[in-house]
Amino acid sequence: MTALRRLGLSLMAPAIALVVALALSAAVIALIGQNPATAVRVMFDFGDSPDQQTQAIVVVLNRAVPLFLAGLAVSVAFRMGLFNIGVEGQYRIATVLAAGAGAAVALPGPLHLLFIVVVAMAVGAFWAGIVAVLKVTRGVSEVISSIMLNFIALGLASYLLTGPLRGSPEGASIITTTPIPESGWFPGLNGVLTGLGLAEPRSELYGFLVVAVLVGIAVAVLIKRTRFGFDLRATGMSASAATASGVDARGMVLKAMLISGAIAGLIGMPDLLGDARSYNTEFTAGLGFLGIAVALLGRNSPLGIAFGALLFAFLDRAAIPLQFADIPASVVTIIQGTIVLAVVVANEVARRVTRRQAEGGSAVAPPTSGDGSTGDGQGPGDGPPPDVGPTTGTGTGVGVRNATGEPGRTDSRQGAGA
Amino acid sequence: METPLNESAPLAVELRGITKRFPGVVANKDIELRVRRGEVHAIVGENGAGKSTLMKTLYGMHRPDEGQILLDGEPASFRSPADAIAAGIGMVHQHFMLADNFTVLENVVLGSEPTKGGRLDRSAARRRIQEISDSYALGLDPDTLVEELGVGDRQRVEIAKVLYRGATTLILDEPTAVLVPQEVDELFGNLAELKREGLTVIFISHKLDEVRKVADSITVIRRGTTVGTADPRTTSAKELAELMVGAELPVAAKRDSTVREVPVLRMRGVTVTAAAGGRAVVDDVTLTVREGEVVGIAGVEGNGQAELVDAIMGLRPLAAGELRLGDEDIADWSTRRRREGGIGFVPEDRHRQGMLLDAPLWENRILGHQTRPPAVKGAFIDRKAARADTARIMREYDVRAPGPDTAAIALSGGNQQKLIVGREMSAHPRLLVAAHPTRGVDVGAQSGIWELLKDARAEGMGILLVSADLDELISLSDTLHVMLRGALVATLDPRQVTPEELGGHMTGAARGDDSVGAA
Repeated sequence: MTALRRLGLSLMAPAIALVVALALSAAVIALIGQNPATAVRVMFDFGDSPDQQTQAIVVVLNRAVPLFLAGLAVSVAFRMGLFNIGVEGQYRIATVLAAGAGAAVALPGPLHLLFIVVVAMAVGAFWAGIVAVLKVTRGVSEVISSIMLNFIALGLASYLLTGPLRGSPEGASIITTTPIPESGWFPGLNGVLTGLGLAEPRSELYGFLVVAVLVGIAVAVLIKRTRFGFDLRATGMSASAATASGVDARGMVLKAMLISGAIAGLIGMPDLLGDARSYNTEFTAGLGFLGIAVALLGRNSPLGIAFGALLFAFLDRAAIPLQFADIPASVVTIIQGTIVLAVVVANEVARRVTRRQAEGGSAVAPPTSGDGSTGDGQGPGDGPPPDVGPTTGTGTGVGVRNATGEPGRTDSRQGAGA
Repeated sequence: METPLNESAPLAVELRGITKRFPGVVANKDIELRVRRGEVHAIVGENGAGKSTLMKTLYGMHRPDEGQILLDGEPASFRSPADAIAAGIGMVHQHFMLADNFTVLENVVLGSEPTKGGRLDRSAARRRIQEISDSYALGLDPDTLVEELGVGDRQRVEIAKVLYRGATTLILDEPTAVLVPQEVDELFGNLAELKREGLTVIFISHKLDEVRKVADSITVIRRGTTVGTADPRTTSAKELAELMVGAELPVAAKRDSTVREVPVLRMRGVTVTAAAGGRAVVDDVTLTVREGEVVGIAGVEGNGQAELVDAIMGLRPLAAGELRLGDEDIADWSTRRRREGGIGFVPEDRHRQGMLLDAPLWENRILGHQTRPPAVKGAFIDRKAARADTARIMREYDVRAPGPDTAAIALSGGNQQKLIVGREMSAHPRLLVAAHPTRGVDVGAQSGIWELLKDARAEGMGILLVSADLDELISLSDTLHVMLRGALVATLDPRQVTPEELGGHMTGAARGDDSVGAA
């Protein structure tokens, strides 16, 4: 079997899933009395003038960067069969502390940035490390402890914001931390856009995009090419075989969670360093949960996660234009939910088909393992989108998404008992 | 070698020209099988020859591409195992599918429970099971918990399960693989009962001596097709084996002793407990493996052999005792350090401990050797070198697979095992811990693995061989220990001991101790 055919097979499942999800979403839109065709047109309408179009692209990219990082954080743990639901709490606590630390120190430009990023990664890793330590010493399921730590992290972040780290004056409508001085701002990439001959957008394209790409490459190399990554994947595929081969399972749980948490710590950085400059009550929520969906969508491969993040960001951007067209923005949530559901089902079906073919004796490419999870997107409500412009709003806050499921490797033994 | 067909006996099962293809491979081709009612019919063939594919066809797990299945002369077609069961075909799997914390009764009725008013009708079930147990002399007590039963009894529960569903043709997949000689005899007694009651038994096995003992007729499969039938009364095991592999077998001649003086592994008073401070599962074991020596551990499964192996590999902590590799105390070493220090490992359950089934062969080449060349360069995996070395192992150790990128799951058991043995040998260990190295492996691969072990021994490797195959133990070992309830109870000279004597020691009968060890 050629590599091309293998690639085709692995792309077929998500493609079919996408078509099914879009058909389902169209049916839902039709059911609420709107025209699906209008919805599609609105979603793909990036505006008339060149600067509106670049602006739309910038909005999508800026949204995709944190989603990509969130997906990466989840995928590293997923790869060895750990379900880190705590990414949400990890990035929230990391962001508030990094914002506080960044405002408290005065350092020259690059050092200041590095300091903030390192604080964020360390806090994220620490928070995820608690989960790992509980798992290896007390046998606590990482699913339970990371969910519970989410609540603690969110409460702690609120306390820090309203208490010790509060920077906004008494009675302000939005409570914020003290803004980070200019030496801690991450330079934007609009120069690159105009250099490419595109119109100057109104928002700045996050420079953190570059960091995210580098992190993505680093994770890809780590997982696929290094000894550590081999141990990690081996543990995910068969913990017993990995242990017998000399992998220290407890150590791997700790290391995988620390890496996952450190990446999670980066999720808030694009917004913090590129736009908001401070942590506040309106800071983007729910990215950790969306990260689970994005990781599922991308089948835990960094490239796939990049596609998943771009797709989700594209759909998120459509939330506000859809409202202008009198279509409820929750349509976006419905589409995202059905896509994740359909992709997960399709991946599992594809995995079983390839495995069965392989068992039948033919040489088929090894199926991607470890992502046979079920994820169900469900948004309890739309966060109030900060209104930025009258024509092209930056739609954030599509709502918190809860994903549940087991990163279980389905036992596809074919024994049909008597 | 054609058996004269007894025309008066009707055919219970007849397969005509069965062909089953999977993408890229023909698993079965023109299979011809004629099983008469009321006989024990053995199907023998190498692993990967297509026996399991054929049995899956007969049990309705998939449908043949060509050919016909006839039951009692009538064409039959199965969409699922449920259809096959309805037509009176039952399968006793090699690996038992029983719920330990259920009673015999509950296990037997599970899935086809007799109900009365929506509730399990225990008295009806008990009556049926007692009837079945009595008429086929299975000796089952419906109310015993399955976890209290030995291996032989569990197998009889599996048989009862099939009979309960009204099977008239029973397929037994490698039924003797898990049994000691005495239990095998009991099983054969049960089969005779089934036969006497007019049931038909299809018996799949590698063990040619057993097949000759129990079968009324034999069909041999080679490379996916039936190559002939044989009469067990007139065919020798050697002739059968040659029919199976299609070539003359190498004679497994015992070579001169290669045992040197230098000890590789020394264990003194090694004790392993089930839980901290709990029952000793390995009890005060003292043994030495020297260079060029094969030390065999015989015993009924579940008497501490697996825990002993785990202790040597660092997968279980020692509660007491001393463990030395060469001159170094390795009791505190991690599994990885022990492997780096020169211990090779062929695990008992290759799917659980030896392979990543979903991963390609070249990644499986790396498994257990993550820190050593040729597959690794510094902190990075050397994919090219790993692939090249996998290709070399496939060539030198006769692993039949399309290439290093094939998923391990696509290989037959024998080829998977040859890859594992090749991988471990390639690191030139000082000590090889081989647990059941030829389990579930066909005759051809088995003699290949034996040759490899003998060559390694001649080169000075120390080998600890744990096995349930008594012939294997007797023919390979230089020293033979018997393990019973965690302790070494006898040390025997493999040149003088017979399988029967060994079996006696294994069950404790030789010491006047007639209770069989925990299974």
